[in-house]
Amino acid sequence: MQVLPLLCAALLSAGLGRPCAAAAPEYQLKAIFLFRFAEFVEWPPQAFADAQAPLTICVLGEDPFDGYLDDAVRGEKVNDRPLEVRRYRELGQLGACHILFISSSERERMKRDLDALKGRSVLTVSDSDGFDRDGGMIGLELADNKVRLEINPDAARAADLKLSSKLLVSARIVGTP
Amino acid sequence: MSFRDLPIRRKLAVVILAVSALMLLITCSTFIVYELLTFRQGMLTNIETLGRVTADNSTGALAFENAEDAAEVLGALRAERHVVAAALYDRAGHLFAKYPADLPAAALPPAAEADGYRFEQDRLVAVLPVQQGGNARLGTLHIVSDLVALYARLRLYLEITATVIAISFLLAFVLSRFLQRQIAQPILSLADAARAVSENGNYTVRVQNPGRDEVSRLAEAFNHMLAQIQQQHRELSNNAARVREQLDRLSLLQRITRAIGERQDLSSMFQVLIRSLEDGLAIDFGCACLSDATRQRLAVTGIGARGVSMAAKMELTGDAMFAVDRNGLSQCLQGKLVYEPDIAGAAFPFLQRLERVGLRSVVFAPLAVESQVFGVLIAGRCVPQGFSSADCEFLRQLSEHAALAAHQAQLHGALQKAYDDLRQTQQAVLQQERLRVLGQMASGIAHDINNAISPVMLYTESLLEREAGLSASARRYLEIIQRAVDDVAQTVLRMREFYRPRDAEMALAPVQLNRIVPQVVDLTRARWHDIPQKRGAVIKLKTELQPGLPGFMGVESEIREALTNLIFNALDAMPDGGELTIRSGLHDGTPQRVYLEVADSGVGMDEDTRRRCLEPFFTTKGERGTGLGLAMVYGMVQRHSAEIEVHSAPGKGTRIRLLFLVASQVASTAGAGADAPRPRQHLRILIIDDDPLVINSLRETLEADGHAVTAADGGQQGIDAFLDARGRNQPFSVVITDLGMPYVDGRKVAQAIKAAAPDTPVIMLTGWGQRLVADKEVPPEVDKVLNKPPRLQALREALLECCAERVSR
Repeated sequence: MQVLPLLCAALLSAGLGRPCAAAAPEYQLKAIFLFRFAEFVEWPPQAFADAQAPLTICVLGEDPFDGYLDDAVRGEKVNDRPLEVRRYRELGQLGACHILFISSSERERMKRDLDALKGRSVLTVSDSDGFDRDGGMIGLELADNKVRLEINPDAARAADLKLSSKLLVSARIVGTP
Repeated sequence: MSFRDLPIRRKLAVVILAVSALMLLITCSTFIVYELLTFRQGMLTNIETLGRVTADNSTGALAFENAEDAAEVLGALRAERHVVAAALYDRAGHLFAKYPADLPAAALPPAAEADGYRFEQDRLVAVLPVQQGGNARLGTLHIVSDLVALYARLRLYLEITATVIAISFLLAFVLSRFLQRQIAQPILSLADAARAVSENGNYTVRVQNPGRDEVSRLAEAFNHMLAQIQQQHRELSNNAARVREQLDRLSLLQRITRAIGERQDLSSMFQVLIRSLEDGLAIDFGCACLSDATRQRLAVTGIGARGVSMAAKMELTGDAMFAVDRNGLSQCLQGKLVYEPDIAGAAFPFLQRLERVGLRSVVFAPLAVESQVFGVLIAGRCVPQGFSSADCEFLRQLSEHAALAAHQAQLHGALQKAYDDLRQTQQAVLQQERLRVLGQMASGIAHDINNAISPVMLYTESLLEREAGLSASARRYLEIIQRAVDDVAQTVLRMREFYRPRDAEMALAPVQLNRIVPQVVDLTRARWHDIPQKRGAVIKLKTELQPGLPGFMGVESEIREALTNLIFNALDAMPDGGELTIRSGLHDGTPQRVYLEVADSGVGMDEDTRRRCLEPFFTTKGERGTGLGLAMVYGMVQRHSAEIEVHSAPGKGTRIRLLFLVASQVASTAGAGADAPRPRQHLRILIIDDDPLVINSLRETLEADGHAVTAADGGQQGIDAFLDARGRNQPFSVVITDLGMPYVDGRKVAQAIKAAAPDTPVIMLTGWGQRLVADKEVPPEVDKVLNKPPRLQALREALLECCAERVSR
């Protein structure tokens, strides 16, 4: 029988592919959320180089998604645009970017980074506490083992981004202090 | 009852209702189906819209896995009360949220189903994708709507349809009632009219129909047809009546013709003709008249029973004659049928006569055969214009038939008479033939007997004359023999008289019947007066003699004998007495004849007896009668060239009339009864006879007279002997020959002798002498005929005569 070695290999690879079983669902979900934001947000046309330019999802700082994000966007298209995931260590390296997930590793430089991004049509997302107070647009927080959204429409509007009302309906609206 | 048998109005109602119902059903069904389809489509659209909105609204909830939001979004479906259930399934197909919230999960499919819509039994299920824009699918929305609305709509439609149909039915029914009247009424009136025609034969009915539609045209055509039928029916009836009348006429004609044909005499023919006309043609007056030879007068021959009183008033009864005036009758007598339609005020006397008894129209029909009018048939009626042309034609035909029948009757009568005459002639010929045969027989017998007694006669006579030395007894015997032979000869003679034509020997003398009758009456007095008186019977004898009768030539004694015979017969027919009448008179017609008639009032004769009474030996008197009386009378009649008429019927007596031609018609031959002396000279005589007894007796007798006699016993021997003697120059001065001989008979002998010596007289001796004279068969070569048995005296006379002739010549 050659099925057994094949099955063992699959199980092994799956086990190896998911380093943390407990944390996985959270970031897997957050990866999907991150990808779905693309559907509910409208960027200004100048945000894209051309009609076929990919929609870029960037991760700043330590990547907590452990590959889930890549899984989530693989093969997907949003509004006929391919999705692209980029990772940056620093904000200064940031190129064309439409959705920026600021990892909690960047907690310290959050305020500065957000300020630096002002004037750019970049949807900023983070699961760091106090993100919305720092001028972030969408915060992801875990409650009752569920991911909840906190959205600051003003910040988005300031970035010339249009947020779908449906996004707003399922989120908690926060305002810039 | 099948649809075919329904009245038209019901059919119409059914048709209208059925059609409208069908139309309504189709229309409503189409409408309902359309509406339902539309409504379903609407429902689909509706649920799709609802679904899409809901799906759209739930993208966020699904995308970001917010079940509360999802439930909230679904809860918005409350606004649509037909939505009974809804559910959201996530991208993996797991149930994510449901509505209503308390709906048990089992009521929903455990996993998301394929997208689409479907109607289930009482609900509509829609399954829609949930996605944000054209992006990847976020999940599935499952909505279930009940079909209450659909059913409610359906019910509403059905109610509406039912109402519409009901109203339509009502309207259609009302309409059909109205239309029925428009359509069925004319048809019914047509049918009523047709029934009236067919059941009552009433062709005067017409269908009232003022419209212009097909039924009206049908009615119009029907009316037209009725008019034509009425017309034809009228013509047919007229024709039928005419034919019936013709048939009646024909049958009447036939009846009359047959009735006429059964009649033989004209008056009964006309009687039945007119009676039939009165009965069959209903005429008031009918009569048939016969024209006289001059065609100036007509004699009434037949008058009908109905017209008798009229005829009496007109004095046309019986055989009344009336003159033919220059009126229709004269035309009718020229063969034309004349019809006087109205004789009122007619100018002619005969028509005035008819008018006086009330007749107004008269038909004169000629009775004609082969265009010879012999009478007129008159038919009259009391009304003017009483005869149609058919009547006239009928009368014309009838008169032709009647005339023909009358002619036939006349022909028939003539034919009958001719037939009767023929029958009588035939009877007479038969009678004559019978008598002739009898006569021949008698003649033959007489010949033989005469031959046989000839020698007896000759010898006896010769002996008595010459033998002077006879003893007294011998002489007496000889005389007895002579008398006996004489009797025999007389008997034979009498027998021959049954049928003996008058011969030259008959001495005819003028006879006066009125002279004979009293003689005979006197001679027979004993028979008709004395003998009956002894028996107590009375014979009343009358003589009715017409004075001045012409005489005729005849033998008085024979007539006397015949009259005696007739009187005896009459007396025999009246054994108990009666009346005997003897008449004489002049018979009517030419040639002039006188008659002698004996009539009795005795028993008479039946037809058969009457026919045979003249035959010899026929008698009704049994032993008393000889059967020769009337036969001898008949012989006498024949000898006198007279006729005999016998009228008799049983019980009616007998009347026998003898008719004699008066003198001038009878060829008179004077009898030459001269005295006959013996011939002086002695002659050489040749006797030829095949009977030796006759030869011997003749020879001896003649030799006794001094003649030289040579005998030859046959014709040829006689001729030879004659020629031989002539050759020796010793010719015979006379030849006596028998007639009947074998091989060469007397005639041939006579011829041969006359051929050799024409001067030599030939005397023929025969038992058939009378026959020869009667039949004018005396051969020219024969100078004298003598009968057997020859009397010596007659023989001497003949010799004397012949030889004297020769001497004188």
